[in-house]
Amino acid sequence: MNPEMDLTPIEESIREDGMLFVRTDSILETMVKTPLIVAGLIIAIIVMPIQTSFSSTRTLELIIYSDGSTHVSRQIDVDPLEPDFELDLFGQSIDNFVAIGDTGFLLSEEIIGNKAVIDKFGSTIITINYDVHDLISKEGRVWTFSFNSPSDYTLLMPKNSVIVGMSGLPTNMELVDDQPKLELGAGLSEINYIFSSINPTNNLPISNDSSFGYTTVIGGLIIAAITGVVIILKRKQSKSSVLTTHTEPIPEKQSETTSVDTETIFSFRPEMREDDKEIIKFISDNGGQALESELRKKFLQPRTTMWRAVKRLERLGVIEIDKKDLQNLVKLKKDLEEEK
Amino acid sequence: MKKITSFALLILVSSMVLGGVTHTAQAETDSSVLLKIAKQAQRQLENQMNKDVSDKTKQLFKEGTQEIKDLEESIKNNNADLAKKHFLSAMRIFKEISQQLSNIKSPQSEIATLKATSKDPSADLFRMQDYINNLKIIAKKYNASIDFSELDDLFVTARKQISDKQFDDAVETIGKIKQITVDFNNKIREYASQQEQSRATAYAKTYLEQLDRLIENAKSQGLSENIIQKLETAKENLSSTTDPHEIIKQIREIISIKEQFELTKNDRLESRVMQIEKTLLNISNSEKLSQSDIDDAKKTIQIIKRHLAKGEFEKANELLRSLATLLNTSQD
Repeated sequence: MNPEMDLTPIEESIREDGMLFVRTDSILETMVKTPLIVAGLIIAIIVMPIQTSFSSTRTLELIIYSDGSTHVSRQIDVDPLEPDFELDLFGQSIDNFVAIGDTGFLLSEEIIGNKAVIDKFGSTIITINYDVHDLISKEGRVWTFSFNSPSDYTLLMPKNSVIVGMSGLPTNMELVDDQPKLELGAGLSEINYIFSSINPTNNLPISNDSSFGYTTVIGGLIIAAITGVVIILKRKQSKSSVLTTHTEPIPEKQSETTSVDTETIFSFRPEMREDDKEIIKFISDNGGQALESELRKKFLQPRTTMWRAVKRLERLGVIEIDKKDLQNLVKLKKDLEEEK
Repeated sequence: MKKITSFALLILVSSMVLGGVTHTAQAETDSSVLLKIAKQAQRQLENQMNKDVSDKTKQLFKEGTQEIKDLEESIKNNNADLAKKHFLSAMRIFKEISQQLSNIKSPQSEIATLKATSKDPSADLFRMQDYINNLKIIAKKYNASIDFSELDDLFVTARKQISDKQFDDAVETIGKIKQITVDFNNKIREYASQQEQSRATAYAKTYLEQLDRLIENAKSQGLSENIIQKLETAKENLSSTTDPHEIIKQIREIISIKEQFELTKNDRLESRVMQIEKTLLNISNSEKLSQSDIDDAKKTIQIIKRHLAKGEFEKANELLRSLATLLNTSQD
C-alpha cells in the first residue's frame, strides 16, 4: 500500500500556535479510490428507483363538485408480493368506492373509518375512485377546501367558482372547460372559493406554460445522461451478458394530425370502449377534430365524464388535445400505425 | 480506462444533480399563475362590493389591490420569492373580505348562494354518472350481462329536468338511478367474487414458487432445520387453500415467519420480478414486443429466479435491471 501523502516541510506547517498541518493533495486517491466512488454512485442510482417504486402514488386527481363533495381518483404503485393493501382515505364520509387492479378487475375492499383494506392478489398498480364529503366546509358564501396531500396532485374546481383565498402556492393553472384546474404540491393546502354569478373565466388570460419548456430541457438532459450511463454499463456487461433479447430501433413518432379511418383505429385499439368508439366516430365525421364542448353536447355527458373519456383516448394514443380559444380541441392522431 | 471512468463519473454526478434540479423545477411556481388567480379574486370581489360595504372592508380591498400591484412589480423584477409573499398576502386579505361580504345580506349574494345550494342536484348526477361509468367498465371486463340502457335513459331524463329547472323531479329521477345502481353494484360484485378465487389461487401459486426459492436458498445457506420446517409447513398450508381470505391469512403468516427470521432481504427483488412479469404480460397482449423478444425475456426471468433461489442476489439484480430497461424502452 502506498499512501502517496505529500508532506510539507515541517517549518512551513508550524504556525505560531504550534499546530501541525499536513498537506494532503491526493487525499481522494489515498482514502477513497475512484472505482469505489463510481461503484457507490452506481449502487445509489440502482437502489433509488427500487426503493421508490412500491406503495407510491402515481397520479392523484381531485374534482370538486358544486355541492362541496370531492371526487378522488388515485393510482398507486403497490408491492405485488403483499396480498392486501391498506390505504388511507381522505375522509370518513365515503361514497361510490371502486378499486380496480392492474388487470382491470374489481378488487374487494373493506372500509373502516378512513382506512380501506384492499385485497389485491398480486396487482402492481391499483386505481381507486371514490367521493369524499370531508374535504370542504362552508361558512356563509365562502367554501373552504382543506387537504393534506401525500403527493403532488391536480384539482379541478367547480364551474363558476372563484378562488378568493389560498394558503399554498400552485405550480400551474389551466382552464378545462371553463373550470380552473390547479396543480398543487404535496402537503397541506387551504383554498377558499365562492361561486360567481358571472362567468369568472371570461377575462382569464391563457395559461402560461413557460415552465414546461424548462422542465422538458432538464428532462432531456437527464435522459441523455442516463442513456450514457446505460451504454457504458452495457458495454461492460456485454462480455458476460446472459440476455439474448434482440432489440430493433424504434421508429420516431410523428405528431402530424389528420383524420384516420375509424375502423383502422378500432382494429389497432380493440380494447377501446364502445362509448369511446362513438366519440372517435363523431370526431372522424367532423373532419378529424372537435371541441370537447361539442363532444359534451353531442353525447349529453357532464364535463368530468367527457374530460375523462378524452383523457382515456389520449392515453390510448388515438387522439391529441390542443388548446383553441381556451377550449380543448380534440384531434385524431395520424401516427397510429407507427405507435402500434 | 481512466477517461471512461471519469466520463461515467461525470455523467452519474450530472444525472444525480440534474435529477435534484428537476425536482425543484417541478415544485417551482409560475408567478404569472399567481397573478391570474389574485386578479381574478380582486375582480370578483370588486363586482360584489356595493355602497353598503363598511369602511374597514374598503380599506382591506385597497390593501389587497396594493398587494397585487406589488406582486406585478415583483414579477417584472423576476423576484419570485417576493411575488409569492405578495400573492399570499393578497389572498389572505381577499379571503377576509369574502368572509365580511358573506355576512352582508344583499340580493346579489343571495342569488349566488342559491346557485350553489343543494337544490340543484347536478353535482349528485355528475357523481352518479362517473360511478356508473366505472361500473360499466368493470361489467364489460367480466362480460356481465347487465343492461345499462334503462340507467342511460334515466340520466338523459334527469339532465333534461335539471336544464328545465325541475329540480324536485330531477332529485326523484336520481333516486331511481341510485336504486338501480345498488342492484347493479351487487350483481357486479357477485361476478367479481366468482373470479376472485381464481385470481387468489393464481397469486398463491406465484407466492408458492417464491417460497420454494426462499426454502432452497435457506437450505443452501445452512439455516436451522426449525426455520426450514416452519417454511415448509407454511407452504403446505398455503398450497391446500383455495379460499381468498384464507390465502391472505396464510400469506400473512408466511410474511410473519420471514420477518421473524430475517428472511426478507430478497423480497424487494421478488416483488420486482412479479412486477416485471406483469409488465411483460401487458406488453405481450399489446403486441409491442416480438414473440422472440418475449420468449427471451421469459427465459431471462427464469434465470433471475434461479439466481434468487441460489442466493445470487447481485446477479439477479443485474439481470432484472437489464430486463426492466428493455421493457421500459418497449413501452415508450
